[in-house]
Amino acid sequence: MLDERHCAAPVASVRDLKVHFQSKRGIVHAVDGVSFDIRDGETLGLVGETGCGKSVTGRSFLRLLPVPPCILAGGSVTFHTHVVCKACAGVGCEACDGTGRQAGWDRSVDLLGISSEDMRRIRGDRIAMIFQDPGKALNPTLPIGAQIAEVFLQHRTEELIALAGLPPDTVGAIRRFASQSPRFGDGWLLSLPGPRRAQRQRVEESLAKMVADALAETQVPNPGKLMARYPHELSGGMRQRVMIAQALACNPDLLIADEPTTALDVTVEARILELIRNLQQRRKTSVLYISHDLSLVRRISDRVAVMYAGRIVEIGTTAEVFANPRHPYTRGLMAAVPGADTPRGKLAAIRGTVPELVDPPAACRFAGRCPHETGTCRSNDPVLEAITPSHSVACFIDHPAQSGERPTYERVTK
Amino acid sequence: MRAAVAPQADDLILSVREVKKHYPIREGALQRVVGHVRAVDGVSFDIRRGETVGLVGESGCGKTTLGRVIAALADPTDGGVHYSMDGEMRRIDRLEGKAAQTFRRNCQMVFQDSFASLNPRHLVIDLVGRPLKVYNEAASADLVERVVELLEQVGLGRQHLFRYPHQFSGGQRQRISIARALALNPEIIVLDEPTSALDVSVQAQILNLLNDLQKERNLAYLFVTHDLSVVRHMADRLVVMYLGKVAEAGETQAIFDSPHHPYTRELMAAKPDLEAEANVEIRGLEGTVPDPARPPQGCRFHTRCELATSACGWEVDDVIRWLEDAPGMFEHLVGVERTTEFAAELAFDNEDAAGLLSMAVRSEQVPETMRAAMRRLNLDGTKVEIEFEEVGEVELTVRDDGRMAACVLAPQEVASWKSP
Ligand SMILES: Nc1ncnc2c1ncn2[C@@H]1O[C@H](COP(=O)(O)OP(=O)(O)OP(=O)(O)O)[C@@H](O)[C@H]1O
Ligand SMILES: Nc1ncnc2c1ncn2[C@@H]1O[C@H](COP(=O)(O)OP(=O)(O)O)[C@@H](O)[C@H]1O
Ligand code: SF4
Ligand code: SF4
Ligand SMILES: [Mg+2]
Ligand SMILES: [Mg+2]
Ligand SMILES: [Zn+2]
Repeated sequence: MLDERHCAAPVASVRDLKVHFQSKRGIVHAVDGVSFDIRDGETLGLVGETGCGKSVTGRSFLRLLPVPPCILAGGSVTFHTHVVCKACAGVGCEACDGTGRQAGWDRSVDLLGISSEDMRRIRGDRIAMIFQDPGKALNPTLPIGAQIAEVFLQHRTEELIALAGLPPDTVGAIRRFASQSPRFGDGWLLSLPGPRRAQRQRVEESLAKMVADALAETQVPNPGKLMARYPHELSGGMRQRVMIAQALACNPDLLIADEPTTALDVTVEARILELIRNLQQRRKTSVLYISHDLSLVRRISDRVAVMYAGRIVEIGTTAEVFANPRHPYTRGLMAAVPGADTPRGKLAAIRGTVPELVDPPAACRFAGRCPHETGTCRSNDPVLEAITPSHSVACFIDHPAQSGERPTYERVTK
Repeated sequence: MRAAVAPQADDLILSVREVKKHYPIREGALQRVVGHVRAVDGVSFDIRRGETVGLVGESGCGKTTLGRVIAALADPTDGGVHYSMDGEMRRIDRLEGKAAQTFRRNCQMVFQDSFASLNPRHLVIDLVGRPLKVYNEAASADLVERVVELLEQVGLGRQHLFRYPHQFSGGQRQRISIARALALNPEIIVLDEPTSALDVSVQAQILNLLNDLQKERNLAYLFVTHDLSVVRHMADRLVVMYLGKVAEAGETQAIFDSPHHPYTRELMAAKPDLEAEANVEIRGLEGTVPDPARPPQGCRFHTRCELATSACGWEVDDVIRWLEDAPGMFEHLVGVERTTEFAAELAFDNEDAAGLLSMAVRSEQVPETMRAAMRRLNLDGTKVEIEFEEVGEVELTVRDDGRMAACVLAPQEVASWKSP
């Protein structure tokens, strides 16, 4: 892709990702040849309408898709893990500017190819995900504290042991225990083999402190009290904060946020966005932010990718895409949002609906809804190409097909 | 008497007067009523022929409940909705027989969730044709033609007659709901978040459609939404609700130009336009909407209002709320004995905690205006006596431009306030 020479190394590179689903009607091409980079420390926004493949793309990173019906039909998702700061073992210190990392990559893996065991190690530790519905992501039967403790027990066992001053050979026992019954605060450590009572208590105390610190990061009042409460006792905004605390507990390199504020009131949404933005900037976490809300994505992203019917149709810096949207779909989306001066009844609607993604033909996916389409668009499939070093678009208006006529814009006016 | 409650006007269709809707909270094996959720707690406004009134507010503030009362799908606990019929305003819950039928025909409701509101086992022809059948408006061949006509009005057609709801997209299902609401040629439609579940491109289609239909039929809409850009686009007048009450009401344009209520201002600041500068300041609100079973005293918004003055209703609950989030004290609170909402004795299990609290409420740890509203603070061993100035409910007042707002501050003070 075009913008590579311009930028820092990406933390993740998606190349020609194809994710399909078996259905009664045929093979649904939910994600159909998607390529993009997430650069180190950036927030990349992914926008588009319902069903265009945003969530499937996001879930592919962590392989959180049901197989079957899901078929990983091709492509790769390369992920680079950072070198952990030697001075603080990832906790954050002065030497690493609080990020817990050093410059450079530790290793790179293809997330679609690694073993389930490796994926478990990465999930929640190096890559974390937050969802629209924290009610579903949180366990209703466990208190908040226990759920966050679980993450530490899985991924931060050595530190925990060190903090509590226990011998290193207890690591295995704790990890095994955590994967079997991750209950925290019920004195479950008493049933651990090996360490003596005082030491166990130290593990609990260290764990409680780690959990409280993680919660405090999300600016919840009185984290100590919150730890004992159950998800259903909390408001939507508070649950979302808990989920963010859980996701960021291990200081991941990449956060995938799938519409985390869609179910919230705008007043609460504004606070959560601010929180994500602050944490992201402080820790230099990279974020893939999925949303259908243009004004929100504009606010939170450094770059934006616009997705339509399983493809990325436009990608670029937020400033460029919003100041100079080139793809007719991007323009259509922007024009459809009611503005202060839009005359009533004169909203620019995009005609028709998103096409079925069953065996799509080799044509522009937006053909049929596009006000600029020509014969070329129905017989050729446009690919993403650069129009500036940091802005690409997949449309024949900017990149005429070898053999066809070239459509021209009439400026979309509101 | 009726005329005294609700002003007469030629173009008035509905007049909502002091409407309350309280839901009992039941507990225990005997299902004893232990309190009431005050979902709607005294709301008044008018709807005129052919106009759109927007109803906005955070989730849980009572919009749907109010919409249901207006559409006569729920009875108010107190107050009433008056409907203009044969030149007089009549309370809809007292209508009987033919008059009640006339109202039900003339006031329809469209719900947010078209999945839940359209019976999945019925064909489109039955869904849209049902009101026509029930009111003996049409039968057999005539019915089919009437339904086709309605479908065509909402951009669907004959080919859709014999399909089930699940065979349509969200936008199409919302069109079916609208066609059904139009069947009996109503005067007013209550639209409860009709586009909230839709994508912007489909939302644009539906909003355009609603506007066309309004023009053709001189329809009035009560448009419930939480999306301010939608309400600015659609509504002539606006009602902003907070915790069961009206915070501000008036001409949409005037309110957007200069909100008189801090809550309205915060709602607007939370979601900037696509057209706004990219770096425009965005603010959210602290905390959540309080429990509508125990609404705050004075101004209901004072628990979250950054402009709150000492006259806004500081009370015992504010101290308790503050305590809940203050580690090292709440655990030691063993009893609260209230004389009123404004005065109480807080008992702790040790003197240190009591001392800490009495120091804290004198310090920067609590808002200055809260301290200013404190009439008495008495530390007596493990007990802290606390008393605030008693304040009545902050009422809606009429402003220069005819709008109403329920805030003790002058409009300039609200407008010039900058977040610290
Ligand atoms: N488990 C599944 N089985 C079959 N098809 C699926 C499954 N999950 C997703 N799809 C299909 O994949 C496509 C993309 O779905 P996806 O949920 O990623 O879209 P989205 O853009 O995130 O939509 P939304 O905004 O509604 O979340 C859709 O056509 C959807 O029907
Ligand atoms: N049937 C009911 N029983 C008890 N409480 C209810 C009922 N319906 C609504 N409420 C409560 O009334 C308040 C307002 O609800 P609602 O009108 O649905 O809000 P909105 O539509 O603004 O989201 C909420 O606190 C809600 O929990
Ligand atoms: S390629 Fe053709 S149909 Fe597709 S978006 Fe461009 S002009 Fe429209
Ligand atoms: S009366 Fe006005 S200033 Fe006082 S709390 Fe209410 S909204 Fe804020
Ligand atoms: Mg999704
Ligand atoms: Mg509602
Ligand atoms: Zn470090």
